[in-house]
Amino acid sequence: MNARRMLGFTRRMLLQFRHDRRTLGFVIGMPLLMMLAFGYTFGGEVSHVKVDIVNQDAGIDPGGPLIPQGLDVGARVVGKLDSETLEMTISGDWQASKAKVDRNEAWAAIRFPENFSANFMLSLGAFPNASQARIEVYLDGSSPTMASAIIRELNSAMISVMDSIGSEFNQSTRKIPINATISYAYGGGDTKFIDYFAPAIMSMAIMMVTTMLTIILFVYERRSGTLQRLLVSPATAAEIVFGYALAFAALGVLQSIVILFAAMLIFNVTVVGSVGVALLVILLLAFVHQGLGILLSASAKNELQAIQFIPLVLFPSILLAGMFWPVESIPQFLQPVSYCVPLRYGIDAMRSIMLRGWGLERIWPQVLALVLMACITLGGAIFQLRRRKG
Amino acid sequence: MAAIETGKLVKRFGKFTAVDNLDLTIEDGETYGLLGPNGSGKTTAIKMICGLLQPTSGSVKVLGRAMPSRAVLSSIGYMPQDVAIYVDNTVHENLQLFASLYGMSAGRFREREHEMLDFVDLSSWKDALASTLSGGMRHRLSLACALLHEPKLLILDEPTVGVDPELRASFWEYFEKLGKKGITVVITTHYMDEAGHCQKVGLLRQGRLIAEGNPEALMKEHAKKSLEDVFLAIARRDAK
Repeated sequence: MNARRMLGFTRRMLLQFRHDRRTLGFVIGMPLLMMLAFGYTFGGEVSHVKVDIVNQDAGIDPGGPLIPQGLDVGARVVGKLDSETLEMTISGDWQASKAKVDRNEAWAAIRFPENFSANFMLSLGAFPNASQARIEVYLDGSSPTMASAIIRELNSAMISVMDSIGSEFNQSTRKIPINATISYAYGGGDTKFIDYFAPAIMSMAIMMVTTMLTIILFVYERRSGTLQRLLVSPATAAEIVFGYALAFAALGVLQSIVILFAAMLIFNVTVVGSVGVALLVILLLAFVHQGLGILLSASAKNELQAIQFIPLVLFPSILLAGMFWPVESIPQFLQPVSYCVPLRYGIDAMRSIMLRGWGLERIWPQVLALVLMACITLGGAIFQLRRRKG
Repeated sequence: MAAIETGKLVKRFGKFTAVDNLDLTIEDGETYGLLGPNGSGKTTAIKMICGLLQPTSGSVKVLGRAMPSRAVLSSIGYMPQDVAIYVDNTVHENLQLFASLYGMSAGRFREREHEMLDFVDLSSWKDALASTLSGGMRHRLSLACALLHEPKLLILDEPTVGVDPELRASFWEYFEKLGKKGITVVITTHYMDEAGHCQKVGLLRQGRLIAEGNPEALMKEHAKKSLEDVFLAIARRDAK
């Protein structure tokens, strides 16, 4: 390996990017755009879910023997519903509200029946045969996210109302015998979705840009004849591959710095761990995908065919690498496949570094996996370039 | 010593034989023209000589070494048929890459770059992106990249395609000058009339060498006024 020849390739490629401002803009802008898009749309919580509320609860009139001050449980539950999460319309007609759900004008219709308060108090008291207080919910189940958000919101409102009524009336019967005390190992409980997502975006941006550009650059090398020319020069295949690898590593570092700054300044993402270790992971990710790009470019006859490889690499990587949901929850038969996705180790390692503050002593298995994969793809690329045709 | 020596060189792609039992000897310092129509196997032969393509059978020796040999690569200047330059880099950056590949010192590169740009008439385009050059200019840049490191053996695959007549004449002049310096120049072309500049030509047809010799001598031997007529005469005789 001759360092000068290797750096000659690196320099040429970086100069090419300096001339090609638009591509450079893509390299830096694409991850920024993803960061903004995901940061703002994937805030984590569902909000402004339209629901219709039909409160027919007659309540308990004041002046009665049991509750002289009177009580309206239905109104209290409605009062506890979060108006940020649910966009409530108060209606008086249960059939009309259900019809709105049928027409997809609301995600749910919620009814508190006439005897809601009465039944609530009766079952709270020592009347074992009393019928339960029931809330009727008519739900559009076509969106699991919306449906579960509504049910979650309703449950938490009911628990909080029960809590307050229980203490008002000194009712010990309401005490729930289980109480969970939560303490946090990492994140301190205020981890936002974007905190969890930023390390994944960084890894994915490196993967996308490196794979795409390598495939396209190497298809050019093969098609234009420059590669033949390089192979007739004293340069070795390893010098070509590592020369390019260095250039991609430099691009990857540049990208990551931009993403990190954006994450910290715009979304207040905190980085707990060492930036140095994060950069190491990024370099390894760039190496793995550069090797992969060269190998794929060999089986593409032209640019059009080359572009077809991009979704082929992109989708399995995004879906199987635990970017949106944990690898544990993907179907059993796909789990082994996810072990072959380099991005998985990258995202794993980046999350551990940025969120948990782990160092090399804890994330070495992921780093080792990336090193091995880089050896395989870069080694394959060198072998592939060295091999003469037929 | 011969600069290039091939022995019973054969290349088959499936059932198609691109190069058929080619025995070629190109002497040191010779300017040799490999002539033939499109598809006659010129480029395939050149690629095997450069070590880019694995022969089906036969041997290739370049500067006394069996190919592929890394040791001889620094003595070869190769210009592929396609305009093999980086269009998203400037003229200077293209040359700079090749200077670093051949381990040229900064001083020598400056000197040679000046010389080469002057020769291919691109001096005022030094900092232009190659993508902004015309086809002919790109071709000239490609030639400059092959000549930059002063190779002992220059292999040019169709260097005059798409080059205007004036520049073509100056190319040939330069190749002859290189020949006088003792540099071996191997040129493939399908423009047979311009091969008169070569000391020796080989006529290739369907992968076989059908005639070889000094252009003048060949024309005299076959009593023809041009190499093209010689080629046609032999081709017709062959076909019978």
